[in-house]
Order: sequence, then C-alpha cells, then structure tokens
Amino acid sequence: MIDARDLRKEYGDFVAVEGSTFSVDRGEVFGVIGPNGAGKTTTLKMLAGLLEPTAGTAEIAGLDTETTEMRQQLGFLPEESPLYEEMTPISYLQFFADLYDVPGDVAKQRMHETLDELQLEHKERKLGDMSKGMKRKVAIARSLINDPDVLIYDEPASGLDPLTTNYVIEFTEQLAKDGKTIVFSAHNLFHVESICDRVAIMNEGQIVARGDLEELQAEYGETRYHVYTTVEVPDAVRENGNFRTEVESMDAVEETRTAAEDAGGQVVDIRTEESSLEEVFLNVAEAGTRGTRYVGEDGE
Amino acid sequence: MRPAKLLRVAKWEVTKNAGGVDRKTVVVMVLAVLAMGSVAAVAASGSGPGLNADIYRVGVEESNPYYDVVEDDPSFRAQAPDREAFERGEQDLTFYGPNRLSRPQTEKQAAALEALRTSTESYNDRTMARESNQTAAFPVSVTLVYQEQGGSSALDTRTDGSANGSGDATAGDRNDSDGTASGNGTATDDGATPAGGSGGDGGGGGDGGDGGGGDAGESTGDGETAGGGGGANLGGIGARLTGDVDSGTPSDISPPFPFESLVLAFLYIVPMNFVIQAYGSSMLSERLNRRGELLLVTPASRVDIIGGKTLPYFLGAMGVATAITALLRFSGIAPSGSLIAVAAVLPIAMLFLAATFCGAMFARSFKELTFVTVTVTVTLTSYAFVPAIFTDVTPIALISPLTLVVMDLTGRSIALGEFAFSTLPPLFTALVLFGLGAGLYREEDMFTQRSIPLKVLDALAGQIKGRKSALKMSAILIPFVIVAELGAVAFLFVLDSVSLNVFGTNQSLGIVLVLGVVALVEELGKSLHLYAGYANARYERGLRSAIGLGALSGLGFFIAEKGLLIVRLSDLESLPIGDAAVQGATPPAGVPLWAVALLFLFAPLALHAVTAAISSVGAQRGRLAYVAGVGVAVVVHFAYNLTVVSSLA
Repeated sequence: MIDARDLRKEYGDFVAVEGSTFSVDRGEVFGVIGPNGAGKTTTLKMLAGLLEPTAGTAEIAGLDTETTEMRQQLGFLPEESPLYEEMTPISYLQFFADLYDVPGDVAKQRMHETLDELQLEHKERKLGDMSKGMKRKVAIARSLINDPDVLIYDEPASGLDPLTTNYVIEFTEQLAKDGKTIVFSAHNLFHVESICDRVAIMNEGQIVARGDLEELQAEYGETRYHVYTTVEVPDAVRENGNFRTEVESMDAVEETRTAAEDAGGQVVDIRTEESSLEEVFLNVAEAGTRGTRYVGEDGE
Repeated sequence: MRPAKLLRVAKWEVTKNAGGVDRKTVVVMVLAVLAMGSVAAVAASGSGPGLNADIYRVGVEESNPYYDVVEDDPSFRAQAPDREAFERGEQDLTFYGPNRLSRPQTEKQAAALEALRTSTESYNDRTMARESNQTAAFPVSVTLVYQEQGGSSALDTRTDGSANGSGDATAGDRNDSDGTASGNGTATDDGATPAGGSGGDGGGGGDGGDGGGGDAGESTGDGETAGGGGGANLGGIGARLTGDVDSGTPSDISPPFPFESLVLAFLYIVPMNFVIQAYGSSMLSERLNRRGELLLVTPASRVDIIGGKTLPYFLGAMGVATAITALLRFSGIAPSGSLIAVAAVLPIAMLFLAATFCGAMFARSFKELTFVTVTVTVTLTSYAFVPAIFTDVTPIALISPLTLVVMDLTGRSIALGEFAFSTLPPLFTALVLFGLGAGLYREEDMFTQRSIPLKVLDALAGQIKGRKSALKMSAILIPFVIVAELGAVAFLFVLDSVSLNVFGTNQSLGIVLVLGVVALVEELGKSLHLYAGYANARYERGLRSAIGLGALSGLGFFIAEKGLLIVRLSDLESLPIGDAAVQGATPPAGVPLWAVALLFLFAPLALHAVTAAISSVGAQRGRLAYVAGVGVAVVVHFAYNLTVVSSLA
C-alpha cells in the first residue's frame, strides 16, 4: 500500500533524511520511532506529499505522493494541527469535506458519526473556545472526513492529558481494526508497542532498524529470567517469602537451580521478562547508525 | 486549477470570519463607512456647511442691490438695518438705502467690508455668465498659452484656452502664462458694485494689466482642460484650482494645478490600502502556527488555494472601485464615468494584492507584515498616484492606470494603445509577483523563519530548475524592470529642465538620473536571480559557469527587453527623458540600417551579456562580491547609456 524507496531530503547542506526505504501493507499499522531530529516527521511529510524528496520515490496505492488522486486517499494528521479557531467543528469539517469532493449528505453523516465516536460535544462551539484535547479530536475527525484508505499520523497524542491520550490511541487502534493502513509516529513507545505491527527506528536521518516488534526485541532486546527459590542463593533478593534471582541466560538459570538444591531448597517458579520497545530503541540508538538492520524482512 | 475548489476556498475565506464580528460591530462599521462616504461626497461636490457660515451680520434691506449678494454668500447673514446694533458692534455692515452707514469701526467690520467686495465681484461674475449675450457680457477675449518657464521642452500643449472678460485686460502675463487680449471693453470699477446695481464703493479704474482688475471673465478650454465638457465637477475650489473656471476675472485663471486629478486618484487608491491590510493578515495567518499546512494535503492545488483566498479581496477592491465610479457618475460629479474606469483599476488592484501576497509570504510576523504592507502602500500609491495627478500635464501620466480612470471620469477619450500602455506593465508585474509568491506557498518555505531578504532569494531560487533558468528568469522579471523604469521616469521628469554637464554631455539632471536608475534596475533584474541561484546551491560555482550564466541572463533580458516596445503605445518617447529611459526599444527614424543593427541589436546584446556576466562572477563568490559586481556592471551600463543618448542627441 505504501512504498518508500531511498527517500532523501536535504535542506541546503543539512541532510534531514537519507536512504529511507520501507513498505507498509494494506491494513498494517507501521510505527516510526526515533529521538527528536531523527527525521520521522520529514519522512511522514514526504509520504504525505507535503515535502518533495530531494531523491528517492514514495508511492501510496501505486500513486505518486504528489498527485491529487493520492491525496484523495490520504488522511494526514500533523503533530501540530492548529485549526481555524473562528470556525465551528461542523463548518470546519464541512469545508474540508467540500475540498475532498465528499457529497453533502455523506459528509454530514460522516462528520456527525465521527464526532460522536470521538465523544466530541459542543459541535457548534468555536474551535478557539475548545480544549486542546477537543481540538485534537476535531483534527482526527478532519483526517477521516474523506474516508481515506491510508492514515499518516504524526504524534497523534502529543501534548494531551493521559485520559485523552489513551482515548486517541484506542481510537487509532480501532481504525486499524477497521482496515485502515496507518503510519504512526510517537515519542511514547508504549503507544507504538501497543498498536503497531511493525516499526522503523530512525536516528540521525536514517532508518537504523526495521521489522516487527518481536523480532526487533529478539535482535536488540534482552530476555531476563526471574528464578524464585525457597532458599537464599548468591545475588538473590527476598520477595514474598521466597528468594528471587534475576539472570540473563538459561545456563544461569540452571546454575541457580543447582545452587538452590545444594543449599537444600528448590526452584518454585521461573518467569521471563522481555525488553520493552523503549529498551530496544535505546540499544539501537546506542549502536548508532552502523547500518540498517532489516529484521525478519527480505532485505529490501 | 480547479474552479470549483477555488470558489470553495473563496467562499470559506469570506465565511470563516463571519461569526467573528458581532452585529453591533457590523452596524458601527456600516455607519462609519456611510458617514465617511457622505463626508467625502459633500467634500467632493463642494457643497455643505463651511466654517465661514454666518460670520458677518449685514443690515440690508431687500430693495438694496447688495441684498442678493449677502443672501447668496453663506458667510453673511442678512438682517434689518439697525444703527444701534452697528454701533454696539452687533452688525458688521449696515446699509440704509444704497449707502453704507459709516466707515468700519472695528477690524471685523473692515474684514466684513472686504469680504463683501470680494463676494460682490463673484456675484457679478456669475450674473454676467448667465447673460444670453456673452459677447456683450464679456467683451474682451483672452487667449491663454501655458508654457514651461525656461524649459527646453513644451510639456503642456494647452494652447487654445480663451478667456473673455470685461475690463481692459491686455496681455494676461501672470506667473507662467502668456496671454493676449483683444476687444474693446471698458474698464469699470473695482468690481465692488453688484451687476445691475448702482455704484457702491467702486471707484478705481480697470487694472487688467496684472490680471487683477477685470470684473468678469470666462475661460473655455480646448477640450484638454480638466473637467471640461462632461468632466467631473468638484465644486468651486476644484474648478478654481484646475483652471476650469466658468467665469471670472483674469486673476481667476490659474495655471492648471491638477486638484481634480488628485482628488479622483485619491478616491480610488485609499480603499486599496484597507483591502490589502485584511488580505495580508489572512495570508500571513495561514503561515503562523502552520495553520495552512492542512490545506496543502488536500486535493486543492496551490493555485486553487491562493486564487480562492485572493478572489474575495480582488472582488472587494473591484467592487469598491465600481461603487465609487457609479457614485461619481450618478451623483453628477463625474457623469462620464464608465466601466473603462473600473477596468483601469483592475491592474492596480492586482498589483496591490500581488505585492501584499508576496509580502505576506516573506514576513515572519505581523510586525514584519506591517512593515511590508506600509512599504507596499507607499511604493504602489506613489506609482499609481504621482503620475495620475499630472493627467493634464504630460503623457507621462499614462504610466499610471489611475490616469485612465481620471481621463474616463473627466470625459476624455482613451485610445486602446494608451489603455494597454498603462495597464499591461502593472498587470504583468502582478502576475509575476503572484508566481514568485506561489513558489513559496509550500510546506518547506511557508513555515520557515527566514529573514525577508532570504525569502526573496528563496522565491527567486524556487523558479530555477537548471542553467537555462538564467535566461528564463531575466525574461520573467522584465515587467518589474519596465514598471520600475516607468516609475523613475514619472518621478524624475520634473528635473528634465535642469541642465547638468556630465562628462561634457550637457544632459539634463532628469535624464542623467533616469539613466542611472535604468542601469541599476536592469542590472539587478539580470543578476538578482543569479545570486539567488548561487545562494541556494542551484548553480555550480566557478568562473566559466558564472560567465556562461551571465551571458544567458543577458540574452534573456535582451530578448524580453523588446517588451519595452510597449512605450510606442504611448507618447512617452516624445519627451527627452522618456526617450532616454527606453532608448533601447525603438530606433529613431533616418538612421542607416547598419547603425540600427549595431545600436539596437548587437550593442545592447553585448552590453547585457557582459554586465550580467560581471555581476554573475561576483555573485558566485558571495554577497559582498556580488554587490561589487553589480556596482561595476551599473557603471558600465550607465556609461553605455549616456554615450548612446548623447550620440543620438
């Protein structure tokens, strides 16, 4: 559905994005993560046709991203989407519906349904009088007014309170379930982890790792084992009447079990803990831009 | 461009602020506009209450010949004669029968007497003007010929004006006018006796020699007089100032100060400044906080968005111009006003909007936008206004489209060539400005915080696609060059009569300055885009490359410069300064073909290529070197121009 090849964006002597290549399948949620200045937003804007790549190509549904036809199929939500505050949600959405050639009755039904789903009240209130969370909901509704196949959301929950953030993330998750193809960037990796099928990790303008979450965790993360014993062994801490020892390999688990048995005790439980995406991200960032690792893909 | 989307954006631009202004504010605004319009109409028509109303109280009976004079002049209030009131100072003048009561006792009474004399003169003039037998009423015929004092060229061709007046006015030598008078009028008095009445205080002999004594007169223009025929009627003040006097003594006949043109031009220009304020704010607000970003991802194109946002303001400006024209026409102030006047305003409106659009794309904040709009206002108002107020003086006035407006309103015919000459340069300039601004209407330029000069360079660099763009850009910028050069001519032609011995050429100061401005403007037009290309890494730096780009730029400019042939549509070349400014456009008659080829093809081509190459070499080395390069190019260009002008002279 989305195909980006060797995208490069230069601003004078500064290279914002270099060699960015990835593809997103229909109905997939693709996360783009990275530190500030990594090139995430620039990449998303090149996909949305807002920025012209210095080199490389980007296509959505086989259409060049600068074509009008592509824009008709796209819903874009920038990180900051200041609205026309003198307008009401209804007039604002109606205006964009007209620009997308959405028939009047369809637009009316769609905007009310979406605003209801987003639990946005005060539809006739001026946007300038609304809270940031309510404005964000209107912006999301605007991105859906043309019923696009592809959604590009740049930090959709940026700056929102936890309650609204969770709501926005859940709504995005629902959109994915409805079959939308979504490219999603966020600073909060928990959100990405919760809804993305695959991610690209960007750093200093390059995609430094890419793949599905489990495989990335396997490649860059660590698995830790928590061994619970009835007796104290070296490095163990007391926890709920037992002793817990944290080790990083099965060999170490075996050594802990042997030590417990030697001390007259036994192992009562072994639990595993995978690295979070945040830890994976930090590991990748530490590794630097030593070359993109395409985990679990065919090495595009 | 998709008209449906453009119109949708236009509708949105109109309606999005609809709820932002409450009804009370709307009512206040409407009332304010109506009040302003009323005041303007009253002022333009020359009627309405004056500050001098009823300041002198005159005791005079209805049977007294002065009674009609007093009644006719709002500065007097007629009362029944009362000796005691006069002595108490409550009456300024008191007449018993035909005689005045006594000499003035106070300064105010003396002033009242003087005012009555003046008013009586005017009353007599008006009375005589209504006489069916004008020859009997004004037995002296005066022919006025306006000539420039000490000038080398006769800019004013008004030669057929005539004035008839009684009194023994001879040659109306007054100020810069020569007059001849013929006739056998008899000197009467100093004009202090009402027509048809018996003598009052008059007693002196006629003093027509200095144009100050004849008691009546009438000037009739030859069709060139402002406001003649079906022209505008701006009241007594305007008529007196423009020389369009229906009746009066030779002292009333003034050189043609363009008051009427000034007022009319002012009427059309002022609303533009309000429109561009709103337009600039709307455009800039799209750039602040990235508000306009979302429009850029819709299927609407840049042209749709810009066109849609501009359309309401354009229509507003044209609507105001139409309303003003209609008001002037149907109120009788300018009964000849027509759609031509409205059409002539179109390029002005476009130019104001285009310049403001570019300014809004360049400015980083409303503070900067204010600076930009003030600059736009001053520059364009000067361009449109200054030539237009000389409508009666010289064809240079045609540089401004407002001149067409004034001509239309004053009932003068406008040739198609004149219309094209006045309107096409600003119209094309506006289109180029819109094009440059539109080049910045994209995500990566709209929201960047760069200084205005850098934004200007970005706008130019945005149009550069390769080396051939050097040729294209020089051609594209030609409308700017033409407008700037015509503007310079309009501003500097008044210096045409000041001789200046530059390198022994004995050219006028105006011509020398115009040649300097022309050289500067043309060198900037050829090189600024080259510098922008280097600054934005569009061109490869290097001596050979720079020379090649300069040659291409010079070639493009040379080809497009032929657009200056548009001056042939005007009479501009009849003036030495106009001829000097556009000397590359048309060869004079009688010059051999080889000389024409040399002077008007190869030499200008070589000049433009060489000077552009000089600037280009500087530009590829950096800003300071570019400034130095342009400086050298300007000097070379100026020397060439001066040589050509002196040779042709």
